[in-house]
Amino acid sequence: MRVFRKKDGGIVQLIDKERMREWSIELPLIFIEYIRNNKLDSYDDDKVKKSIEKYLDEIMEDVAVPRLIEVLEGDNVEEIINALERIEKIANENLDLTRPIRPYLEELLKKDNKKITNLADSILELFRREERRKELSEKRKVMEKKEELFMEGKITADEYAEARKEYIKFRDNR
Amino acid sequence: MAKSEMKENWDLKATKELLNNLQNQDLENKDIELPEDTIKIDDLRRKEALNKLYSLVDSVIEDIYTTGKPVIELPSRSNSNIIWDEESDLLLLGKQIQQKQFHSLTSVVDITRLMRVLEIINELLMKDMHATKREIFYTDVKLFQDQKNSDKSLEDVATMLYTTRNSTHVVASARGSCVGRLRIRDKNDIIDLEGLGSGGWGISPMLDNIEILESDAEFIMVVEKDAAMMRLAEARFWKQYPCIILTAQGVGNVAVRMFLKRLSKELQLPVFSLVDSDPYGHYIHSVYMRGSKRLSYESPFLATPDIKLLGVLTRDLDKYNVPDDCRLDMNKTDIKRTQDLLKEDFVKKNKAWKTDLELALKLKKKAEIQALSSHGFEFLTEKYLPEKLSTGDWL
Repeated sequence: MRVFRKKDGGIVQLIDKERMREWSIELPLIFIEYIRNNKLDSYDDDKVKKSIEKYLDEIMEDVAVPRLIEVLEGDNVEEIINALERIEKIANENLDLTRPIRPYLEELLKKDNKKITNLADSILELFRREERRKELSEKRKVMEKKEELFMEGKITADEYAEARKEYIKFRDNR
Repeated sequence: MAKSEMKENWDLKATKELLNNLQNQDLENKDIELPEDTIKIDDLRRKEALNKLYSLVDSVIEDIYTTGKPVIELPSRSNSNIIWDEESDLLLLGKQIQQKQFHSLTSVVDITRLMRVLEIINELLMKDMHATKREIFYTDVKLFQDQKNSDKSLEDVATMLYTTRNSTHVVASARGSCVGRLRIRDKNDIIDLEGLGSGGWGISPMLDNIEILESDAEFIMVVEKDAAMMRLAEARFWKQYPCIILTAQGVGNVAVRMFLKRLSKELQLPVFSLVDSDPYGHYIHSVYMRGSKRLSYESPFLATPDIKLLGVLTRDLDKYNVPDDCRLDMNKTDIKRTQDLLKEDFVKKNKAWKTDLELALKLKKKAEIQALSSHGFEFLTEKYLPEKLSTGDWL
């Protein structure tokens, strides 16, 4: 176990990352998410919280991502499909957890197997959708600014109408 | 006792000191070194157990080809071969070997049962499945006739393979429960033992599927009675005093003892027992501490030698003013059991334990944990346990 000592004499113990190397590939990600969302705030000691966050990053970097990559870069079609199905499930719940493997998903699009390319594309679509959402939010902010400027008479009706047209076109096509 | 009198700020100082000592111990030096005159058994993974089983069968086949009279050798589990090792404080199995011959009329039934159990274990390991002892009996009722016979064959097979019963995928029925500051993994599910209501988590006998993930507990407490467990769970005792609480509702079965051993070894936390103030309670504590005679070959995997007897001690009855009408008279069996315990080497070695048992014999009184509730339902959780854990009043 990895031991973290609190100021009040208490301790927090987390399983050693080496033992996670034998886990199914999605489990280290689920563990990281579980501790972050459910336990971290309960530890009541800032120093311990920081050390644990650092340890969780370490698990992500040293175990979770390499294990996923190992499977995705391998030749075993069945394993890749299984891994992609699990990654898709995790990505639907928390896209951030799967961000480090995005480049490997893009590589998988070049594979001959249709099921693999479809699954990889469906996960990548989640990233694309997220990007479009962010872009739309940016454009909405710009539009709001234009509305203010128009109301203040600082831009013309034509300029406003043009901006509005562009915004609606982007929003409907995303 | 008034509630305000109980509500003191207990700092668990003595428990924290014990925790600190345990955490600073070198894990490598904590490994049990068994004496030369005892046998060593290993906890095996599925494939290792299968390999051992195959080499055993290979040697039987070889005997058939070479001598025509195959023999199986296994460590004897008779009383004369059970040794108490003072150094490790465990009951262990000595090196006396017994032979089971295939061609002898006296052992033919025994050996047939043994081989049948071996066949069943092979199937369980191959399919990566688990079965209870009861299920094993029902696989061939005609052959086994009584569950005692299939249980005996099962223990013989485990000793023959020099492994634990759990490694053969034959498990005890689930009986114990656990609550408190612990998160575990059962295959792909994360289980939070703080969030399962007052019933807690039913300790799984399939411990090979269980892994400890996280804990912020500072000690572990084993409780004899379900009623005391309920009191602790209802008070959510672990919230104020960070701990993990277990009960086996009586003598610890294999699953509970093995789980406790795992918790204690991996988390390196102080372990306490809370049992009735009677010889049976002391016996329960001793089984957690050094194992039972019947399963002495598994002691290194089942016993928790560092466990402390927190209570209820005989001296507590006066110290905490347990009223006379809550104390019970010891009967003949209690007196005999206490005398027997006093003859055990491990009791003789522990002076404080011996003194407490002698006091029980002198007073001829016993009491249940629940007798403490004569001072109010909160007395156990707000005064008795916190005070003892803070002052180090344990054996």
